[in-house]
Amino acid sequence: MIQKKICMIGASGVGKTSLIAKFVHSMFSDKYLTTVGVKIDKKTVSVDGEEVMLMIWDLQGDDDYQRLQMSYLRGTSGYLLVADGTRQITLDQAIEIQGRVAEAIGPVPFLLALNKADLAPQWEIDQSRMDDLAARGWKPFKTSAKEGAGVEEAFVELGRQMIQPH
Amino acid sequence: MQRGARDPAQEFEELRRLLLSREREQLRELSDRVSDKERRSQDIASVLPEAVKMSRERGDQLTRALQPAVEGSIKESVERRPQIFVDALHPLIGPIVRKSVAETLRRLLQSFNQTLEHTFSWRGLKWRWESLRTGRSFAEVVMLRSLVYRVQQLFLIHRETSLSLLHVTADPAITKDSDMVAGMLSAIQDFARDSFAPGEDSVLEEFRMGELQVWMVPGHYAYLAAVIQGNPSLELRPALQETIETVHVLKGSALAEFAGDASAFESLRPELESCLRAQYATARKDGKSTRAWIVIVVLAALLTAGIIVAANNRSKWKNFLGQLNAQPGLVVTDARQKWFSPSQVSGLRDASSADPAALARDAGLDPARIRFRWKGHLALDSVSVRRRVEQRFVVPDQARIAVNDGVLEIAGTVPYEWLDSVRHDATLIPGVKSVVERDVNITYDPALTRKRFEQQFRLPDTVNAAVVNGVLILSGEASHRWLMRARAAAVTLPGIKSLDDRALIDLDQRGFDQSKSIIESAFIYFLTDKDDIATEGFAALSRLPDEIRRCEKAAQQLGTDMTLEIQGYADAVGTENRNSDLRQRRANRVRDFLVSCGFEPERLKAISVEQPFKPAAGDKALPEQSQRRVALKVLTLLSNSSP
Repeated sequence: MIQKKICMIGASGVGKTSLIAKFVHSMFSDKYLTTVGVKIDKKTVSVDGEEVMLMIWDLQGDDDYQRLQMSYLRGTSGYLLVADGTRQITLDQAIEIQGRVAEAIGPVPFLLALNKADLAPQWEIDQSRMDDLAARGWKPFKTSAKEGAGVEEAFVELGRQMIQPH
Repeated sequence: MQRGARDPAQEFEELRRLLLSREREQLRELSDRVSDKERRSQDIASVLPEAVKMSRERGDQLTRALQPAVEGSIKESVERRPQIFVDALHPLIGPIVRKSVAETLRRLLQSFNQTLEHTFSWRGLKWRWESLRTGRSFAEVVMLRSLVYRVQQLFLIHRETSLSLLHVTADPAITKDSDMVAGMLSAIQDFARDSFAPGEDSVLEEFRMGELQVWMVPGHYAYLAAVIQGNPSLELRPALQETIETVHVLKGSALAEFAGDASAFESLRPELESCLRAQYATARKDGKSTRAWIVIVVLAALLTAGIIVAANNRSKWKNFLGQLNAQPGLVVTDARQKWFSPSQVSGLRDASSADPAALARDAGLDPARIRFRWKGHLALDSVSVRRRVEQRFVVPDQARIAVNDGVLEIAGTVPYEWLDSVRHDATLIPGVKSVVERDVNITYDPALTRKRFEQQFRLPDTVNAAVVNGVLILSGEASHRWLMRARAAAVTLPGIKSLDDRALIDLDQRGFDQSKSIIESAFIYFLTDKDDIATEGFAALSRLPDEIRRCEKAAQQLGTDMTLEIQGYADAVGTENRNSDLRQRRANRVRDFLVSCGFEPERLKAISVEQPFKPAAGDKALPEQSQRRVALKVLTLLSNSSP
């Protein structure tokens, strides 16, 4: 089975860890995030009939107090950029982070997940922002940690992009 | 017919030419190719890479075959043109040396730390004992005992992606997800490096949790992580290093191009499994068994030693009691040997008996650890009685004493005084009924003999006494009575064999002799032919009574009676009858005078003494007057013997 390292990146409080909690095989507690700054989980997805094992490095949220530890990104085959759909600022932060990551590790496949899709009333990402993202070539996934929507699809899509010949 | 007449050999040659000409051409060409060195080299060069590749896939025969040639070639090349190798190796030498030195120092430090750690621990003390017992150095023992370890798991992890390439475990029960563990190991390395050594390419080499430790051995593309239980031996790290190098040799390109498919590394499983060393199992078992045996042997040795010591002490105690009971004057009535408090001995003890504490010491026991309780008694056995005698009387060197049935037997040479005291006092000693002397040679001290004589005879101040060779020599003056007593009894004194009193004057005898001489020399003259005392006769007569009394007294001292013979003389003139009467009358006249003076008449004998001879005419020697006289003669029983 093919293994791939992927990273979960996003601003603090966007729900990265909650997003994948129900979908992954986990053996380490969440406190690793606050101590080592990373927690590693595992998930197997089927991409076009091929099994791919994703080693998911859930990185501590990037904020003013804790900058993203770029060394954890080394060797990653792709990453899931997570933003909170109810807080537009986290999208801006995600875009900024992506810029830094791309600069650090070069072009690798990634997906943008706009989380908390279940909180439609508070949703702040309007269509113009979505168009803006589309213009960048990004295809955001709306996900919900609470309802589990979009998560599996996001991982499958990311897996597909990673094993496709570039 | 002519055709039929051709030589058969020629015909056969022709036939062969027609049939085999093509093959012969090919053979020639092949022969040329084989013999032509250049062509042969070209042929080999074209197949050599493929051949080498195939040979490597089939095994390492080619490697072994080439090894001597390659080594020889390199050696020769290094000797001839070393600069080429220097240039080639120069970029590598520095890092290699640095790494080697660092690794050596690290191992040395680890060894030192382990030695320190074990020196003062219980285990360290046990190892010290083992070192003493086996004669091995302590370091060697520590090294040997440190070999107790087990490599539980081994991860081969891709450095770039942190993905697990291969995971082997010694214990199938270990089911932790190796992929995630491998990821976290990498994350921890990144964390440590970012936190403490940012920007460096080094890796976290080991960390420890209680009895477990994790060693990480880096390679260029991948690293090994070994989870180890216990204290790994120092050989483990080089083995792991060798393994990661082997991994890179065998799968270098696969590692470089790794894109997530770990199946290519499955073939490395034997190499990794060879690192799952488990020396601990037998070592520990043996260790436990050895320790158990040591404990058993030590306990057995202690027990044996205890039994031997106890038996030895018991034997000493019995021997001591035997000695005690064999001692005259000692009677043991109760004896208890105790191990943890003083032993006790009770009984009867004669004052003359041997010292029990000294006997205990002689038997090898500590007298301080024995409590004696003795009651005094008088032992009547021969030895005790003899000791008592020896304590009472200091036995002279040349004397021998023995006691048999209460009889004290004395033999040898002894001083009279010692013997005398024994004779008098020995029977006062309990156990001595009588004294018997056998062949006793008695010696007498002259001074003591003289002193004894002096005390016995009340030696007068006027007498000197000395004892020489048993002869008592007396000198000076003494009364007749004392002298007689000495003569009679001195030789009865011990140490006096005879008496020499030639130099001793008998005072009484001398007085008697003097008085007798005076009396007998006194002439009482008478008138011619008359019994009247002449004038000069009175003078002599008047002195006589005192002298006679003195003489009587002296005679008395000498133990005899005296009488006086009063002799009457007359001159030759006249007749014999007349003269005889005259002589008698004259004698009677003096006797009467003496009677009147108080002398007993019985002791006065008046006789007429006839002139024994007539003096010749003209003889003037005796005056005529002297013939008319009375003379006195003292008569005693001793008169014949004494002067």
